[in-house]
Amino acid sequence: MIDLLIIGGGPAGYVAAERAGHAGLKVVLFEKKAMGGVCLNEGCIPTKTLLYSAKIYENALHGDKYGVFGDNIRFDYEKMISRKKKVVRKLVSGVESKMKSNQVTVVKGEALIEGRSAEGIEVSCNGEKYNGKNLLVCTGSEASVPPIPGLREAEGVVLTNREILEMTERPASLVVIGGGVIGMEFASFYNSLGTKVTVVEMLPEILGGLDFEVSAMLRDIYTKKGITFNLNAKVVQIAGNKVVFEKGGETHSVEGEKILLSVGRRPVTQGFGLENLGVELLRTGIKVDEKMRTNVPGVFAAGDVTGFSLLAHTASREGEVVVNNLTGRNDIMRYNAIPGVVYTNPEVAGVGETEESARAKGIAYKVARLPMAYAGRFVAENEGGSGVCKVLVGEKHGEVIGVHMLGNPSSEIIYGACIAIEQEMTLKEMQEVVFPHPTVSEIIKEVVFNF
Amino acid sequence: MATIIIMPKQGQSVESCIVTTLHKKAGDTVKKGEVLFSYETDKASFEEESPVDGTLLACFYGEGDEVPVLDNMMIIGEPGEDISVLSVSASAEKEEEVVTGKPLPAISRDHIPALETQTSHAGNLFISPRAKKLAEKNAVPLSQLTGSGPKGRIVEKDIMTYLTDRPRMTPLAKKVAAEAGLQPETKGTGLAGRARAADLSASVNSIYGMDYEDRKLSNMRRLIARSMHASLQNSAQLTHHLGADARRMLELRKKAKAALEEGRMMANITLNDMVCFAVIKALKKFPEVNTHFLGDTKRYFRKVHLGLAVDTERGLMVPVLRNADDLSIAGLSGQLGELAAACRSGSVNPDILTSEAATFTVSNLGNYGVEMFTPVINLPQSAILGVNTILPRPKDLGNGVYAFVPHIGLSLTYDHRSLDGGEATRFLKQIATEIEMLEIEF
Repeated sequence: MIDLLIIGGGPAGYVAAERAGHAGLKVVLFEKKAMGGVCLNEGCIPTKTLLYSAKIYENALHGDKYGVFGDNIRFDYEKMISRKKKVVRKLVSGVESKMKSNQVTVVKGEALIEGRSAEGIEVSCNGEKYNGKNLLVCTGSEASVPPIPGLREAEGVVLTNREILEMTERPASLVVIGGGVIGMEFASFYNSLGTKVTVVEMLPEILGGLDFEVSAMLRDIYTKKGITFNLNAKVVQIAGNKVVFEKGGETHSVEGEKILLSVGRRPVTQGFGLENLGVELLRTGIKVDEKMRTNVPGVFAAGDVTGFSLLAHTASREGEVVVNNLTGRNDIMRYNAIPGVVYTNPEVAGVGETEESARAKGIAYKVARLPMAYAGRFVAENEGGSGVCKVLVGEKHGEVIGVHMLGNPSSEIIYGACIAIEQEMTLKEMQEVVFPHPTVSEIIKEVVFNF
Repeated sequence: MATIIIMPKQGQSVESCIVTTLHKKAGDTVKKGEVLFSYETDKASFEEESPVDGTLLACFYGEGDEVPVLDNMMIIGEPGEDISVLSVSASAEKEEEVVTGKPLPAISRDHIPALETQTSHAGNLFISPRAKKLAEKNAVPLSQLTGSGPKGRIVEKDIMTYLTDRPRMTPLAKKVAAEAGLQPETKGTGLAGRARAADLSASVNSIYGMDYEDRKLSNMRRLIARSMHASLQNSAQLTHHLGADARRMLELRKKAKAALEEGRMMANITLNDMVCFAVIKALKKFPEVNTHFLGDTKRYFRKVHLGLAVDTERGLMVPVLRNADDLSIAGLSGQLGELAAACRSGSVNPDILTSEAATFTVSNLGNYGVEMFTPVINLPQSAILGVNTILPRPKDLGNGVYAFVPHIGLSLTYDHRSLDGGEATRFLKQIATEIEMLEIEF
């Protein structure tokens, strides 16, 4: 009897498999495509690889500001893409070897849940049957494709994150439908390489869910860098290379060699026999409790398939919660300290409550903010650059409830704020922490003393 | 010139009232007509409004205090005014008590933060300075600790032991715990089981299991408790249950509703009104029941004074409808409705709430779906009728035809000292008959 069957080898599945295997459980993991899932193959990792190439190119172009001059600075798009493939290959094989070293059996193929019997939960794959005591469903999500007229006919022009990463040539112009995290990262990448980029966003601000002030600042920076933003704009039609949208009662259109569709993601709950177990869904995702249990005993779900907090690091932690509880350690999933990062240049990072979410929840808070220029290292390394750091604390006790930053390298700093929130540290404790000098991270300390 | 606010006297029998809510505290400015405080008597609750504009200079009692009627409650005047003369000039015999017993509690309470109260409490304990410091830092409830030092002194080791036994707490949790006197539950939901602020709950002494709080009974609760207990102790009560065919009642209720909607009738005659009407008719035929049992005498009433049990937010109230037998069903309906509303709003006259005022009581739980219960007699009345929900019951309709017919349940509790089973049964049967034969003119 297998202790844990896992469907899906993304950040939820492979981390859960690794932890469970390490704890001595007998684990079988089914993956139909490539280990690492969307994150490693079509998401986080390939985009960050490309964005780093773009950043180096941008830095080289503007080296003069730092007294460094280079002639004939150019990039090779194909080289970038092939390096991306190499990075992905390396990391995928890294995950595979982790599976091996933790005695996880990986079955490559499409898994199908047959149902449950006295022998446990039965899953079949490649004509073989597997019986497990427990099942972890982490089938992830896929780009959602809304029914926009003309969208199907424009195949080849309209791309999702998957197809755009496979392109071998840089488009001269790109229209991005949806200014969320995925949309903004691709917009940033192609903008750096000189593509004419237009963002069409339905909401009043890009990067929905992030701190409003930070999002607006980033939009200003990218407007100066040459991206055109259309906010409050509803796409009504796609006509070949043209995106037609309504804004303020008027109809506009914008043309692009390619069109990126990044309007959100949809949990994958069909096509693998989930219905054979009678697992309950909530809106589009699988309904789970704080221990990631579904309504069916022994069946768990983690990652994007829950339709909630669609982030790789959320997925991994959710997978770990499942394994911890299976191996006798009481653990619950907390969502109040999940960081969010946007790898634009400059980067955006945030964790916890924003002013908007705190107000919506009726939390009494205090906020302090400082420009990034208060950190010496930031000034040294960001000629003419701007940024901000905001800290939100509870009004009565001063516990940290949210930190939001704009400026490089906030993605590497934000985890400190995660720890503070998880620990429920108050300003008093924060004041006693020593930050390395000179680093950009000191900005948090500066803001803490600014209350 | 300062104005003294006294505790008003509500009704002849009231000697003291309980302050339920202080709407103003010392130092607040008040306007004429603003509510100063709420208070309750045995049966009803009231609000006292300010007669003048000014500033509340002093408040002599706190929430939950029992205040003798006509005693000084508050002083309103101008800030800085000398009120020392006023505050002691309550009725001469109470002078001393007011001065020493209640030295402006509202003022002093506001100025002592919660944390200080706790440490001052700890100050009375026998504890080493090091242990005290550590305990304060970690929000340890010292009152729950037993010292292991000489003569039971609490030493650092005791605090350390306590800290290793309880779940580790986040800095915020410690802060909140110290301020609010809370302790973590056994399981924390934070990092590695660390207790977060949300995991805190009121402190539980594991030895005595003090996972409860003691609340003073309201005056009304005390009175209900006393009279209900006395009723069971001092009488010989038992209950008979019987069902009455409710088809006619339901038919009449439909007609009454239609009549009300069409404007042919002003009163909204409910099922309860019909039952009460039937009870009054039955009581007229059974004078033995319309009585008070007074030990060696029995008091027979010429009129029916009907008590009606009303469920309110403050507890059970039984207002009395005097001379109920003089009323038509429409009149009865209107007056019962008014009485119930007065009880629920707290504006009822306390004098009609005493159990001596009624000759018989009806308690209706049918609305709540109760199928059968044993109401408790309001002594010295001889009996009480409990009215239950309407349920379908099989009935022989003649010619071998059986059908489910709606029946209303009637539960009569009577004092066997006053009535015998046969009499009580006949009376109960009479109520059923009256219900089944009810006539209403529309």
